[in-house]
Amino acid sequence: VESVLRPAGAAPACLLVPVRTKKRFSVPEWARELSPEEKEKRLRSSGTVFPEERIERTFYLACTADIIDPYIPPEGDARLTSLSKDGLKQKMDKLKQTAVSQLALRKVKDHDPDFSTKTFPEKAQEIFIEAHNCLANFNKQKLHSLVTERCYPEMVRGNRYKTIRWSFVESLEPPRVVHVRCDSIVNRGNLYGQVTVRMHTRQILAIYDRFGRLMYGGEQVPKDVLEYVVFERYLVNPYGAWRMHGKIVPEWAPPKEPIVK
Amino acid sequence: WLASGSLFPLSCIHTSTSLQKFGKWEKKNWIVYPPQLPGEPRRPAEIYHCRREIKYSKDKMWYLAKLIKGMSIDQALAQLEFNDKKGAKVIKEVLLEAQEMAVRNHNVEFKSNLHIAESMTGRGRYVKRIRYHGKGMFGIMKIVRCHYFVKLVEGPPPPPEPPRTGFDQAKEYVQQLRSRTLVNTL
Repeated sequence: VESVLRPAGAAPACLLVPVRTKKRFSVPEWARELSPEEKEKRLRSSGTVFPEERIERTFYLACTADIIDPYIPPEGDARLTSLSKDGLKQKMDKLKQTAVSQLALRKVKDHDPDFSTKTFPEKAQEIFIEAHNCLANFNKQKLHSLVTERCYPEMVRGNRYKTIRWSFVESLEPPRVVHVRCDSIVNRGNLYGQVTVRMHTRQILAIYDRFGRLMYGGEQVPKDVLEYVVFERYLVNPYGAWRMHGKIVPEWAPPKEPIVK
Repeated sequence: WLASGSLFPLSCIHTSTSLQKFGKWEKKNWIVYPPQLPGEPRRPAEIYHCRREIKYSKDKMWYLAKLIKGMSIDQALAQLEFNDKKGAKVIKEVLLEAQEMAVRNHNVEFKSNLHIAESMTGRGRYVKRIRYHGKGMFGIMKIVRCHYFVKLVEGPPPPPEPPRTGFDQAKEYVQQLRSRTLVNTL
């Protein structure tokens, strides 16, 4: 927006912070009862022109607010063995069956030629492990670079005064890409890509509260975990990186343990 | 990239200060102990709470603080509810807030399993004003405020110390006599 006071091309050398000064003015008697339209008419007739000053703050959306089209994991995913017929059917359930995922995958490959469904899951698992280690060590700067802004408060809320010990034991099945979606928000062409990776791993988690008492989990108890982790990347940004965006919790997941008090 | 309006350079400053100054008592709630080993006895939870600038005298508040010290939280609340002083209402609110905080944020299981380990009053900020007397005389009066601090600890209240009897004093005297040694002799 151009204006007389701020011509395009001239940047202010110092920062202009609008400061409220002491407003002291008295309205004369004849002007007190005028309605706003009459006031405007008077102002316009006197010739004073106030250019429209809109101090705008730019903001930058680095991630979407939610998971687009969440992947619905099939029931009993990790329970059935590959020996039964149902287990084999699930194994055959590859990414190529869904057409929307294929389209999205093609769009992602346009913007990022190095992306491939074979190599990405390993990188994704590395990012996952790094992010959880940062969470355990409270390394906030690194965590911000590995995890999107939507996922960060979910991971960190309530943990400020608690000690978390997390370690990754092993991966029971190789991770694989299950679901790809591509979407733009606000403007058309502002693309964000979301990829869901299915991971079946063994992890150790122990949370201690403020006084060092064990609240959840155990240090010597490895647990088998089946997770669907969503990774997101701002595709239009050439320096964008794939970051953890959220997890999909299926309805048939086993209930969590209660907190030990 | 999003095409925005006029780009104002250096428009990303945070023009706000922190909420308020935190005193030492509030900061005690932020210490984190290292995790306990499985063999150690369970550390009891400690919750620190305070209220600042209560419009009451610190000496008058002291009587209530001394009344409560060492009681369990239920007993303290009961005593304060039927006490006629103005400070009793304030202290009761403080105790209820602290109990709420303990259960919600500090992983305390039972809200009645708390007892009051310390309860103290402190002087707040005094303000001087003129008090008008007759015949043009005046006095300078102080508007008096106080702070109230309380520390709740998880667990049943500790048993009260038995009062010192004459028998205990006599025993100690005899013990002193017996522990005397001869100095500078063979």
